[in-house]
Amino acid sequence: MHHDNPKDDPIIRVDHLISHYGESKILDDVSFQVAPGEIFLVIGGSGCGKTTLLKHMTGLLSPTSGAIYSGDQDIADLSEEARAKMQQGIGIAFQSGGLFNSMTVGENVALPLREYRQVDARLIPAIVRMKLSLVGLADAENRLPDALSGGMKKRAGLARALAADPPIVFFDEPSAGLDPIMGAGLDDLVLELRRLLGVTFVIVTHELDSIRKIADRILMLDRGQVLFEGTVAEAESSGIERVQQFFERRPDTYIAQRNL
Amino acid sequence: MTLLRIECPPDLNLETGRTLFDGESFATVRAGDECLIDLSQTREMDPHGGAWLIRLAEAVRLRKGTIRWEGESGQVADLMSLIEPGLIDEPPPPAREPGYIENLGGTTIAVIQEGREMMSLFVDVIYWTFLAPFEGRGFRWAHFYDEVHDMGARAVRITFLMNFLLGLTIAMLSAAQMRTFGLSIFVAQLIVIGFARELAAIMTAVVVSARTGAAITAEMATMVVQEEVDALRGMGLNTSQFLIAPKLLALIVVLPCLTAIGMVAGILGGLCWGVWVLGFRPEIWLNETLAAAQWTDISQGLLKSLFFAITIVLIGSHNGLRVTGGSRGVGQMTTRAVVMDIFMIIVIDMVFATFFYFTVG
Repeated sequence: MHHDNPKDDPIIRVDHLISHYGESKILDDVSFQVAPGEIFLVIGGSGCGKTTLLKHMTGLLSPTSGAIYSGDQDIADLSEEARAKMQQGIGIAFQSGGLFNSMTVGENVALPLREYRQVDARLIPAIVRMKLSLVGLADAENRLPDALSGGMKKRAGLARALAADPPIVFFDEPSAGLDPIMGAGLDDLVLELRRLLGVTFVIVTHELDSIRKIADRILMLDRGQVLFEGTVAEAESSGIERVQQFFERRPDTYIAQRNL
Repeated sequence: MTLLRIECPPDLNLETGRTLFDGESFATVRAGDECLIDLSQTREMDPHGGAWLIRLAEAVRLRKGTIRWEGESGQVADLMSLIEPGLIDEPPPPAREPGYIENLGGTTIAVIQEGREMMSLFVDVIYWTFLAPFEGRGFRWAHFYDEVHDMGARAVRITFLMNFLLGLTIAMLSAAQMRTFGLSIFVAQLIVIGFARELAAIMTAVVVSARTGAAITAEMATMVVQEEVDALRGMGLNTSQFLIAPKLLALIVVLPCLTAIGMVAGILGGLCWGVWVLGFRPEIWLNETLAAAQWTDISQGLLKSLFFAITIVLIGSHNGLRVTGGSRGVGQMTTRAVVMDIFMIIVIDMVFATFFYFTVG
């Protein structure tokens, strides 16, 4: 990992975040920070609040209380315009791709470039081709999202997230529902992008193989609370029962305990 | 407190389980009693047998007794530990029905909240449609042209047909009344005034709300469900600007045109009845029609259609954006949007009619 400054300020910092959906508390006092160039994984069982946390970090939801700092700005405090500006500087790849079905894959990737108007319009097709090649979809440029498989949609979504070269990319469940080969391919891609471009990744996942392979640090959530924060090695030797259970793939039910 | 021992048969299955339960061995259980299920004889047990045991445990719990078991071994022991939560835990209580007052309060809050959401969407959309383009903040013209074609050009036939048939029907009904006074020719005037002021605008708006309004909701809702709206917002792009503004401008342009076509179609419908059935010469009927056609009446209809256009787009996108719950939600929201559309169209129409009654007359 290379940094310009060894004592980097966090690229994003979550401070005592509390979030409700209706009356139920989804996130309960969550705090952590992500350093630039880090591959930071948010892990935990289904329904523990991972995706909600990601939506908060990208400004798609507003917290009940607490703050999320990007630099020294709380993104919940930003005006609509300033938040849009902030969002133009991040990439989000959604679980199901989130591609616009009315546009081709290439147009999807080009959309942020055209809308932000930061690059020469003549360069856009080349950038689109490059990003699609990065994710191995160079030949799908003119196809509609409907015609893609689930894994291809995910990768196209990642290409779109990378389109404007954001310093930080949020990725929701990259390998869920993918075959092992494609899942491993995405892991490699994340590592390469970090190595080559210094991209920071915040990734929500519950795939153990992927966690062991790419994580610099992990944050483990359980029913909306932080159970653990640290490296994978630290997690596996943490002695926290729920954490151990997750890494050893031990289920809750009786069958598992009997088979020990 | 007494101890009641229930002995289980060697093979606990659907039949033997039923016998065990129907024997009502638990009938003597009183509050605080303990019921001991003896499984020492049982060598085999299947899921149905287990279900009967859970049923038995429930019956004992109802009598405020407790349940315990012993003597299980081998396969029976394994199965017993799997179903243990069902035997010991109380079943979860059914969801509580809210009371009348609670319902009333909940509904009131929901309505206020929805009104507020809709108001802010309205302001936002109006800004992005009419003001932002002049500030150089971009308007998606390509999308606008597509929508004009889709909402307008492709709706001409159905709008024409519906209004034509309505014109025919109105002529038929009123002619039956007028004829008794020998005033059939006044049907021509009636049709003109009716279609110019009311019928064309309403009928066209209803057709468009069922066609375009439903399509807007379904499209938006699907986009929400498939994370497309999140993706858009996540890129820092505004949904009102990107998705709704082109539709609003398109319908504002298109709906008055369709209404005008509706007026012509309705008058033609009346003319057909007048000429073919009532036996008037076409030029006489047309003269009557033209004489009765007032610009004030026509402009009333066209003005109303502008408000209908705003209503249809706003209600359509509002309902689409607040969808929850996957494909079922999409269907529910689409239905809701069309019902709200038609209701609001009638309400707006009534407001206008009242206003014009007291001003223009």
